[in-house]
Amino acid sequence: MGKWWGVMLEEYLPALVHVVVGIGFAVVALLTNFLLGRAGARSKAKDTPYECGMLPAIEEQPRFSVKFYLVAMLFILFDIEVVFMYPWAVVFREYLEREGVLIFWSMMGFIGILLVAFLYALRKGAMEWSR
Amino acid sequence: MMIAAIPWILLLSPLVGCVLILFFGRASKLLSSGIGIFCAGLSLLCAWFLWLKGGVVEVPSFPWVDYTSFGKQFRISIGFLLDDLSLPMLVVVTTVAFLVFIYSVGYMAQEEGYWRYFAGLCLFLFSMLGIVVAENFVMMFLFWELVGVSSYILIGHYFRRDSAADAAKQAFTVNRVGDFGFLLGILLIWLYSGTFSFNDLKGKAQVITDAAPWLLTTGLVLVFLGTVGKSAQFPLHVWLPNSMEGPTPVSSLLHAATMVAAGVYMLARIFPALSLSPIALEVVSWVGGITCFLAALMGTQQNDIKRILAYSTISQLGYMVIGISVATASTVAVFHLFTHAFFKCLLFLCAGSVIVGMHHEQDIWKMGSLKNKMPLTFIMMGIGTFALAGVPPFSGYFSKDLILEWAWIKGTPVFWFGAITIALTTFYIFRLFFVVFLGPPRSDEAKHAQESPRVMLLPMLILSILSLTVGWPFIGHFFIQPVHPEHVPLFLRFILIGFLAVGALVAYLLYAKGPLKDPIQVAVFENRFYIDNFYDWLVKEIQGRFAGICAFVDRWVVDGFVKIASGCVWLFGFCLRMLQVGNIQAYAFYFGAGILLIFFLLLSK
Amino acid sequence: MNPILLEAVLVCYAFLLLLVEAFNSRMPRRYFGWAAVVGTTVVFFMTFFVDSSKMNPEAGYYGFYAADTLAILFKRFILLVSVCVLIMAIEFAPVLVRYLPVEKPDAGSGEMYSLVLFACAGMMWMASAQNFVMIFVSVELVTITFYVMVAMMRGNRASLEAGIKFLILGAIATSLNVYGIAWIFGTLGTTELPEIGAILQSIDSSLFPSLLFGFGLIFAGISFKVAAFPFQFWVPDVYQGAPTPVTAFLSVGSKASAFVVLMRVLESMLSNSELSSKILFMLSLVAGVTILMGNLSAIPQTNFKRLLAYSSIAHAGYLLMGAASIVSGNSGPAIAYYLMAYLISNMLAFGVLLVVGKSTGSDELVHFNGLGKKSPWLATALTLAVLSLAGLPFTVGFFGKFFIFSSALQAQQFILVGIGILGIGCGFYYYLKVIRAMFWLPASKEQSISSPIEISKPYAVMLILLSISLIIFGVYPEPIFNLIP
Repeated sequence: MGKWWGVMLEEYLPALVHVVVGIGFAVVALLTNFLLGRAGARSKAKDTPYECGMLPAIEEQPRFSVKFYLVAMLFILFDIEVVFMYPWAVVFREYLEREGVLIFWSMMGFIGILLVAFLYALRKGAMEWSR
Repeated sequence: MMIAAIPWILLLSPLVGCVLILFFGRASKLLSSGIGIFCAGLSLLCAWFLWLKGGVVEVPSFPWVDYTSFGKQFRISIGFLLDDLSLPMLVVVTTVAFLVFIYSVGYMAQEEGYWRYFAGLCLFLFSMLGIVVAENFVMMFLFWELVGVSSYILIGHYFRRDSAADAAKQAFTVNRVGDFGFLLGILLIWLYSGTFSFNDLKGKAQVITDAAPWLLTTGLVLVFLGTVGKSAQFPLHVWLPNSMEGPTPVSSLLHAATMVAAGVYMLARIFPALSLSPIALEVVSWVGGITCFLAALMGTQQNDIKRILAYSTISQLGYMVIGISVATASTVAVFHLFTHAFFKCLLFLCAGSVIVGMHHEQDIWKMGSLKNKMPLTFIMMGIGTFALAGVPPFSGYFSKDLILEWAWIKGTPVFWFGAITIALTTFYIFRLFFVVFLGPPRSDEAKHAQESPRVMLLPMLILSILSLTVGWPFIGHFFIQPVHPEHVPLFLRFILIGFLAVGALVAYLLYAKGPLKDPIQVAVFENRFYIDNFYDWLVKEIQGRFAGICAFVDRWVVDGFVKIASGCVWLFGFCLRMLQVGNIQAYAFYFGAGILLIFFLLLSK
Repeated sequence: MNPILLEAVLVCYAFLLLLVEAFNSRMPRRYFGWAAVVGTTVVFFMTFFVDSSKMNPEAGYYGFYAADTLAILFKRFILLVSVCVLIMAIEFAPVLVRYLPVEKPDAGSGEMYSLVLFACAGMMWMASAQNFVMIFVSVELVTITFYVMVAMMRGNRASLEAGIKFLILGAIATSLNVYGIAWIFGTLGTTELPEIGAILQSIDSSLFPSLLFGFGLIFAGISFKVAAFPFQFWVPDVYQGAPTPVTAFLSVGSKASAFVVLMRVLESMLSNSELSSKILFMLSLVAGVTILMGNLSAIPQTNFKRLLAYSSIAHAGYLLMGAASIVSGNSGPAIAYYLMAYLISNMLAFGVLLVVGKSTGSDELVHFNGLGKKSPWLATALTLAVLSLAGLPFTVGFFGKFFIFSSALQAQQFILVGIGILGIGCGFYYYLKVIRAMFWLPASKEQSISSPIEISKPYAVMLILLSISLIIFGVYPEPIFNLIP
C-alpha cells in the first residue's frame, strides 16, 4: 500500500504543483486586487463596470452573428487537422522504414477528406461573410 | 404416391378456395358460395376416403425448420398424423362444415359481405383441418392461432355493429391469454424433452416424469391453459357467449361444433403424457366440473336463444374435459365431442332457422307458438333438444352417461357436478323449447313467422338423423370405440335418469303453459355470476389505473420532472444545476443516476 | 475482393455525391437520392463477392477490423436498411423542403442522401470493429451524422429541439464511452477485444473493480445507442421530432449496429467467469426494466410515432434479454434473427407512417382513423407490420420472439421470461389500438378526404416487398437462419 502511494506521489507531483500554482495564482490576483483597491476612496461611480464613456443602455450581451460561429467552427476543424499532423510527422520516418508508404497514403486520405469538406464549405458559402 | 397426395388435397383445398374467393368472389354471390362448397366438398370426400380406406396413412413430412446448429435438436416439420383419433375427427369436421356451408347459402342470402363470409369460412376450415392433422406441437399452435384469426374475422362479420366488433376483439384477446400459457407449456416441454412431435411425446414424457415430475405437471397445466381459452372453460369462458354476435352458421360451426372442441381434441392428443401426471389430471377435472356446472346455471336464466345455446356449449365442453380427466382413454371424451358436434350444430342451425323466420328477433320471450308456423324446424329442434338433454335413445345419452360412469368409477366429487348439471341441462333446454315453440305468440313477428327455405332445411335434416343415431353402439362404433368401464352399478343409471326427469318436469310445470314472462328470475344467474362485470371492472379499473400510472410516469419523466430533478441534482453537484431550463436537464440527471445504478450493480459485492 | 473496400467505396461515393451536389445547383435533388440508392445497392451486392481468404480477422488491419461472417451479415443488413431509408427520404423530401429556408428551396434536401451514406458506412465499420478505438471512431461517425440528420428540418421547432437533446445527451454518452475505454486501457494496457478476452481469462481479481468501472461506463455509452433503461429517456422526444426516415434509421440501423458492438464487447468481457456473473446479472436487470418501461409507457400514447418510439425501447429490452442469455450459446443467432425481423416490420410501419403523416400533416393516431376504408392496402401493410412487432405467429416477428425466449429459457432466465411475456401482453394492447383505429373507428370530420393516399411507384414496391418478406419469413424462416453464422 505504502509503495503504491509512493509511486502515485512521484508520478503526480508535477500535476499537483500545477494545481497548486493555478489556485494560488487566482487567489493571489484576487487578493492583491482587493487589497490595493481598498486604498482609494470608493464611490458609486467607481463601482460601475465602465468608469468613463457612455452609460450602458442595453444590459444584454451583444449578439454575435451566427456566421462568426460558423467560421470559428471551421477554423477549429482545420486547426485540428494540423495538430494531428504533428505526431504523424514525428513518427513518419520510423513507420516508413517499417511499414512502407502506407503511412504516407493514410495522411493523404485524411487530407483528401478534409479537402472535400473544405470545397463543400466553400461552395455552400460558409466563408462568405456578407450574404 | 397417390394416397400420400390426398391429405395434402384435403388440407389445402379450403385454402385455395379462400384465395380464389378473395380474388373473384366479389363478382357474384353464386361464385363465392360455389367455390366454397366445392372446396369443402373436396375435403369431405378426401376425409371419407381416408377413413373408409382404414389403417394408418403414412405421409412424408416436409421439413420446415431444421436447425442442428440451434442448440438441441430444433426440428419442426409440417406433417400429418393420421391415426384413429384424427381420421374420424376429420370426417366429423368436414361433414359438419360441408352442411353448414350449404346452410349458409340460405341463411346469408340477404346479408352483406357474402364473399367475405365464405372466404372466412374457408380460411377457418383450412386452419381447423390443420389442427386436426398436426403432427407436432408447433404446427398445431400455428393453426391454433390461425383458427383464432378466422374466428376473429367471422365474429366481427357485422363489423359496423359495435357489439360485434367488441365481441370479436374480446374473443381474440381472451384467447391470447390461454395461448400464451399454451406456448409456454410447449416450450417447457420441448426444453426438457427435446421434441415437439406427438408421437415421441409419450416416451419422452416418461423420461421427464422420472427426472422431475413437477416439470411435466407444470408444462401440461400450461398447455391446458390453451384448452381453457379455446374451449371456453372457466374462467376464460366469457368470450363464447359474446361471440354469438357473429352470423348463426358461424356460431354453429366454430363456436359449437368444431373450433371450441379443438381444445378437447388437443387434450386427447397429449393424453398419453397427461395420464402420467395425476396432479395435472386433477386440475383438468376440477376446471371441467366447475365450468360444466356454472355454465349450466347461467344458461337457465338467459333470454337470447343463441346465448342459451352458447352456455350450453360451454357446459358440454366441460363434460368433455371431465371425460378426459376421469377415463383411462381419451376416446370417451372424443365420443362426446362427436355426438355434441352433431346435435349442437343441429340446435344452432334450428335456432338460425327460427331467427330467420322471426326476422332476426332473438329474444325467446318474443317468440311462441312456432310449432304451427315452422313445423319442420319444430321437429328437428325437438330431436336436438332430446339429444342434448340426453334422453335415452338419442345420441347425447350414450356419450354423456359414459363420462359420468367413468367419473363415478373414479370416485371423484366432480361426478356430482356433472350429475346435477344433467338436471340443469334438461331444464334450460326444455325451457327454450317450450317457450319458443309452445304457448301463445308473444309478438307480431311470431304471428307471421315462416318456415325456412329448403337449402337450410336439408342440412338440418341430415344433422337430425345423425344426432339421433350416432350414439347407437353399432353406428357410433363406426366412428370411435369408446372404452366402457367395468362394474357400473345399475342404480347409477337410475340416478342419472332421475336427474333428467326432475329437470324436465320442472321445466314442464313452469313453461309448458306459455307464461308471458319468465316466472322465476335469479339475478345472479341472469347476470352470469357477475363474472363479465368483474372482468369489465378489472379491465377498466386495474388496466385503466395502470395506464394512468404509466401516463403519469411519462408526464412526470418527460415534462414535469424538471423541478424535482433540480432538487435532486443539488445532491450531485451544482454543475448540473446550471442547466436549469428545459427537459434535457432531467434526462441528463437520469443519465447520471443510471450510471450510478450500473456501478452499484457491477461493483457492489 | 478485400472486404475493406466495401466501406471505402461507399464513403468515396458519398463524397462524390456531396461534391456534385454542391457544384451543381440545377439538377433536381431527388436524382441524388436515386443515385445514392443505386450506390448502396451496388455495395450490397459487392458483399457477396468478398474474398473469404481475407475474412480472417488475424489477416491484418492491425487488429482494428474484423470481416468475419457476423460482420458481413450485419453489413448487408445495414445496407438494406439504408436502401429503405433512402427511398423513404426521397418520398419525404417535399415535407423536408417545407421546413428549409425559403430563398433556396432545394438547399439541404440533397445533403440528406450523402449523410445517410456516411451513417451507413459508420455502422458498417461498427459491425467490424475489433478494437475500442475503432469502436469509438465509428460510433462517432454515426452519432455526429445523426446529429445533423435529426435537426435537418431547420424550420421546425420539434426537429431542432430533438437535435439539441440528441446532441447534448449524445455528447454525454460519448464522453462516458471514452472514459470507460480509458479505464480499460489503463487496467489492461490494450484496446483490442480479442487480446482483452485472452488477458481476462487469467487475471488477478484485485483488478476487477477498475475493469467493471470501465465496462459500466462503456455499457452506458452503448445503452444510450440501443435505448436501454436508464438511458432511454431521449428516445421518445428525439424520435418524434426527427424527420420520419431518420427516425426509422435511428430505430433500426443505429440500434442494430450498437448491438453488434455490445455483443463483441460482451464476448471478450465474459471470458472471465467471475466477471461474467456480475455483468449478466446487471444485463438481465436492465433488460427486464427496459421491457417493462417500454411497454408500459407505450400504452397511453396517442401519437403513433411516439408509440413506435416506446415500442422500440421495448424491443431493445427483448434484445437485451437475448444478450443476457448469452450462456445458452444460442443467443447470438437469436438476436441476429430478431434484428432481421425488427428491420422488416419496423421499416414497414415507418413506411406507412411516413406517407400517412405526409398526407395528413400529423403523426397522431387519430389521423389513422378510417384508413382501412380510405387506403385498404396501406392499412393492410401497417396491420401486418404491427402484428409482426407484436409477435403474432405467421409473421416474421413471431420467430424473432420465439428464438429469444427459447434461448432465455435455456439460460434459465425464468423471471426475465415472465417479464417478457407480460411485456408481450401489454404490446398486444397498444398494437391492436392501431388496428382498431384503422378499421373500426370512423374518420373524423376535418380529414374526411375519401380519396386514397397517393404514393410513388418505387415506394409502393418497397412496401410490397417488405410485406411479402414479412409473411414469407414468418412462415418459412429457414433462409434467414441459414445466413446467420
